[in-house]
This record gives sequence, C-alpha cells and structure tokens, in this order.
Amino acid sequence: MAAVLLRDAGPAVSAGPVQPVGDRTGESVVQRPQPQISLVDLLDRLLGSGVVLAGDVVISLAGVDLVQVKLHAMISSVRADMADPRQAVRGGSGG
Amino acid sequence: MAEERRLFPQRLETDAESVERDLFKLVLTIIELVRQLMEAQALRRVDEGDLTDEQVEGLGLGLMHLEEAMEELKGRYDLTTADLNIDLGPLGTLLSE
Amino acid sequence: MAEPGRYLYAVSRGLEPGALAATRGLDDARLDLVEKDGLVAVVSDVDLDVYGEEGLRSHLEDLAWLERVARGHDEVVQAVAASAPTAPLRLATICLDDDGVRSRLREWHEPLRQALDRVEGRREWSVKAYTGRPADAPAQDAQAAPVTGGAGAAYLRRKRSQTDERRAAEEQAVEAASAVHAALAAASVASRLLAAQDPRLTGHEGTMTLNGAYLVAADDAEAFVAEAERQAADHPDLQVEVNGPWPPYSFATLDQP
Repeated sequence: MAAVLLRDAGPAVSAGPVQPVGDRTGESVVQRPQPQISLVDLLDRLLGSGVVLAGDVVISLAGVDLVQVKLHAMISSVRADMADPRQAVRGGSGG
Repeated sequence: MAEERRLFPQRLETDAESVERDLFKLVLTIIELVRQLMEAQALRRVDEGDLTDEQVEGLGLGLMHLEEAMEELKGRYDLTTADLNIDLGPLGTLLSE
Repeated sequence: MAEPGRYLYAVSRGLEPGALAATRGLDDARLDLVEKDGLVAVVSDVDLDVYGEEGLRSHLEDLAWLERVARGHDEVVQAVAASAPTAPLRLATICLDDDGVRSRLREWHEPLRQALDRVEGRREWSVKAYTGRPADAPAQDAQAAPVTGGAGAAYLRRKRSQTDERRAAEEQAVEAASAVHAALAAASVASRLLAAQDPRLTGHEGTMTLNGAYLVAADDAEAFVAEAERQAADHPDLQVEVNGPWPPYSFATLDQP
C-alpha cells in the first residue's frame, strides 16, 4: 500500500511535478506557486479551537434532549478576546 | 474543490417521507447503543466466570438474535451502522464502532 | 457602511515594502504596513459591520464565508512569510485604527519578538497519520475451537475476539503514531501535536492517529521529508501524509490575552 502521500511539497523540495517559477527577467519579485493548505487545516490554525461538526438529527422530538436538532458546522468558540473595536479608543492615543 | 465539498455535511431534508426515516434512525440508534452495551456487559460477565454453560449459551443466542434483528431493521430503511452514529461533538461519537 | 476597522493579518520584521505589492487584502482592499519599534503589522481596511463582533457571530456558522475569509487571510500571510519572518494572527483580529494597531504592537512586543526569532528561516510542515481501514475480521466461527456449548457460546467467543483484535489494533496504531512523531520531532526544531480532525471534515476513512506540526529550517526540508518517508516505510500499517512548507501558523500565532 502506498505509504506516503506527498502533496504540495513546494519549490523547496522536488518531490512533485516541477512548477514554473515565473518570469525572472521582468519581475522584481519571483512569484512562487502557493502551497495549498486544506480548509480544515487552515481553519484549525486560524481559529482558536477549530471546526466542530455538531450532531446530526433533523427531527425535533418534544422532551428529547439527547441529540442536537440541526445539522450545521459549528465553531466551538467565539473568542472573547477577539479585538474589541472599542478597546482602542479607551486605550487613548498611545502609539 | 472536492475537498471543500466534504466540509459541508449532508443537508437533511424535512419532507414528510424523510421525517419518518429520521425518526426511525433515532430510535434505531438508541436500540443499537443498548445492544452494544448489553454485549459488552455479557462479555464481562462471561469473563468473570460465574455463569453456567447454559447461561452463557442462552446469553449468546439472545445477543445473536438481537444482532440479526438489528440487521433486518437497518435493512428496511437502508441504514448502516455508520448512519446511526451520532456525533456528540467534544464527547465523541455515541457508538463505539 | 460603518467606519472601517483595521484587520490585522500578521506581524513581521524587516519586511520590504515592495514585497506585498502584488497582494490584496480581504474584499480586495489595499494592504498597509503599520510599524512600531521594529515590528510591522500588515493590515487592511475592513467593514466593521461585517467583521466586528456582531458581524462575526452571524457569519461564523457560514462555511462559505469562513472559507473566503480564511483563504484571503492565508493569501496575505503566505505573501508576508515568503519575504520575512512572520507571526500570523488569528482570524478576525481587528483594531479600530492605526493607533490601536500600534498599541497592540507595543503591548505584544516581547511575545512577538520571541515568536519571530523562533520562526526565522523556518517553515511549518504538517504530518498526519491514519490507520488503514480495519480489515474484515477473519471468520472465527469457521475455526474448530474446543467447543463447550453451541451457537450462542460461539457467538460470544467471536465477539470477544473481535473486541480484542480491535483493541490490539488501536494500541498498535497509537504506538506507531507515537514512534513516527518522536522521530519527526527529533528531525525538527520544534513540534506540536494538534487535535485529530473529524473524518467527516477530512473525508478520510481511516482513523487519524497523528496530526503533527513541525518547525523545520528551510534548508532541512528535504531531510525532514526523507525522514517522514522513512517512518512511513517502517510503519506500513499507517498511511502517512506530508504537507508543506507552510507559514509557521502553529509556532508563531499568539494566543492573545
């Protein structure tokens, strides 16, 4: 069984198809192909606690507290310390 | 991107037909949970060694029939064990397999 | 639209102004640099109605929105990281204005400086390991076991051995994943174990037994990947997946106070 899946190794490691690096003559900045991060990996890193899938049953039964009712992707925490726009004003004109 | 498609779980329909199936799914899940707990407990009792051969045989037959009955019920609505497994979020999944 | 706020993507140092010329921020906004004591925050204007606290709450369950914002954020972080040591910020870090940004830079100066020192010249690699799909249990009831009792006892024996096999396989998978992690940690500057991901999100069938993030010097990337390949070969029961190089999200993102 194929044991290693290498993906998007990027220009530093030649383990995949070689990507064209871009036109060096005209550009002052060399454009490199962006290694793709999966959305799950990206959200795990960008959000404090990542993505959680909540439970799975559409039926709403009176008095049944066992299961969640709606199917949706749920972010497990809205970080309380997410920059409060009002804080900067209270902080005064330090800078 | 195929990868991102999977990030969206299946949207469940809410028409009358699937309401019945979803209700059934819920009921089956609870039965399956109890069945698995019973099996685990039976194995523990057998391990403890304080059951007679007849009791062991009776337990085994009962559980075997229960498993067959579950398969039949699942088949009626075309459900697999994986379909029944409810995710409790941080608590993990409801069924162990 | 309300007053715009300043969305912070990342903090860097020694960033050349031209490095971001080809990159735009969220909603195609222009990227600006805000400096304080040698640290540079990369920011852009955003609509506070959308990205402010209330706007965020209403959007956080909308995966399409999240995807767009995460990708836009990552695009900026990648551009910065390609050019200078970078400490990415979490999604939706917003200040009211540039004074607010500078104030944050002052407040976080020391942790940021340490984070930048840690990641300079290094990139993040992600290594995940999955168990293969559990093989179908061999038909135990075909065995001529010393039979005491009938079909019922046989059923219980079969269930017992299935449970034992599953437990043994789990233990073995955990051991293998630990060995892989230990080897990769030794081959990197720093490492972190991240939570396993829900198979419904990854679409992967096996159980994820390792979700590791490794900080590797840019020059050592090939050696690191070679080590991962070696580990995969040593543990054929695991499926090993390597991704990178990425900006050092897991090693420089501050847990903001």
